[in-house]
Amino acid sequence: MKQKIMIISALVLLLVLVAFMVNDFFFSKPDNTNPYEFELESVRTGDTTMTAYTETRQIKTTLEEIHGLATDALGRIYIAGKDGVEIFDPSGKAENKFKIGGTAQCITVDENGNLFLGMQEHIEIWNDSGKQLSEWNTCGADAVITSIAVLGDDVFVADAGQKVVFRYDKKGNQISKIGLKDPATGVPGFIIPSPYFDLGISKDGNLWIVNPGRHSFEKYTFNGTLLSSWGKASMAMEGFCGCCNPSNFAFLHDSLFVTSEKAIERVKVYNPDGSFRCVVATPDQFEEGTKGLDLAVDKQNRILVLDPVKLLIRVFEQPKK
Amino acid sequence: MQNRRDFLNKLCRGTILTGLAATTGILVFRSAKSGHCEIGSSCGNCLKSDSCTLTAAVLFRQTVWQLDPTKCIQCGRCAKNCVMTPSAVKVVHVYAMCGYCDLCGGYLKPDTKTISTAAENQLCPTSALKRKFVEDPFYQYTIDEALCIGCAKCVKGCDAFGNGSLQLQVRHDRCKNCNECSIARDCPSDAYSRVPANKPYLLQGIESSSDKNNT
Repeated sequence: MKQKIMIISALVLLLVLVAFMVNDFFFSKPDNTNPYEFELESVRTGDTTMTAYTETRQIKTTLEEIHGLATDALGRIYIAGKDGVEIFDPSGKAENKFKIGGTAQCITVDENGNLFLGMQEHIEIWNDSGKQLSEWNTCGADAVITSIAVLGDDVFVADAGQKVVFRYDKKGNQISKIGLKDPATGVPGFIIPSPYFDLGISKDGNLWIVNPGRHSFEKYTFNGTLLSSWGKASMAMEGFCGCCNPSNFAFLHDSLFVTSEKAIERVKVYNPDGSFRCVVATPDQFEEGTKGLDLAVDKQNRILVLDPVKLLIRVFEQPKK
Repeated sequence: MQNRRDFLNKLCRGTILTGLAATTGILVFRSAKSGHCEIGSSCGNCLKSDSCTLTAAVLFRQTVWQLDPTKCIQCGRCAKNCVMTPSAVKVVHVYAMCGYCDLCGGYLKPDTKTISTAAENQLCPTSALKRKFVEDPFYQYTIDEALCIGCAKCVKGCDAFGNGSLQLQVRHDRCKNCNECSIARDCPSDAYSRVPANKPYLLQGIESSSDKNNT
């Protein structure tokens, strides 16, 4: 009897063992969990409670590639890109479109309504009817023009290739170079690892230049004297992320800075003293990997964001209280 | 008798001489005809020919495992699935692409409060990525291969926030070159393939990976 029980027990044990082996061989799934997972989704989502703007409108462009965005005093919107310039009225209705010979990387409009286009290594000046007025070839063959700002008779050109800002008069004569490293005057020199190098003129008549490798804004007089700087490198919302940011900026009417970044695609507003104010757009509103979110502010103080991946101008406004 | 022996002697010598002349002629003709042997051989065989036993040709025919960084999705399986411990897959730094950034997405955790070498700020679980100050504001990043486990966390960080200069590669001083690579078998993006042993690296972003191939 005892022997019988032992045999049955041994058989049951054997069956259980075989069942385990069969399960292990044929039904078990490999463990594909990643113990070293680096979760980036939370970084891309960000804190939505800081968002103070909503997207109210999208303007579709017919250009094949878009790189530059500007507005004029009347609130008209200008887009420049591959082989053309497109002009919209403030409501987003297409007004004019004309061809240019090449790809414009940036665009700005002066008080006379003339368009300054940065074409890789030279500058072209056009009127809004599509007539070319002049061409400046004085930046040099190594130039990579990424931004232009105009005030009165002064034209400032950001050159990411030679890591310098050129000051010209309206006739195209080069007056000076701004931002070359000079320890004697405290100018740190521009660090530009990728071709995103923006500048702008504030209401108080100072030249603000992004130093992307240092994650900072630098304030210069038109003569090239460094006055101040602000900026903090950080992945957090308050700082500028990645190797080199912000990629673009613009001024709101109350001298606030609107900035855009690559790597973590986000648009934010900073106070004039450089302290963080609020978020305009979070990374989940853009395609991952979007670069070159050029910015402009129109007559109604709306923030316009150029989305080169979706080929859109996206309009952001603060909800009316 | 003498004449017959002379005759046979001359016949043998003549045959050998003719044979030698014919062989030389054939070799010269084939060499002139092919004219593009990649390893300087005058035999006319191309490198892929199984009959060629020159070292360069043998190396050309041999293949090793390598992963294509453009296909890699940083899933972490290179660290887990390799038969070697730690894995034979390591991070390789393509310095030509590196921005030498202070805020390095491959070195620092995204939620880092301060930029420093403190262990709690480092993304690498084994501190295999080393940071060294070069000049303001540049830092050089090097990999301690003995510590690297091939988890690709830094690769993902560098891809997301930087230039993508950190890339995973099978290091052939460690790889056992198994017939069936256990990582390749489970690679979800089919990034693994066999490549010629004389060009064993597939680094991206540089004109040629000859520097790496020579190491």
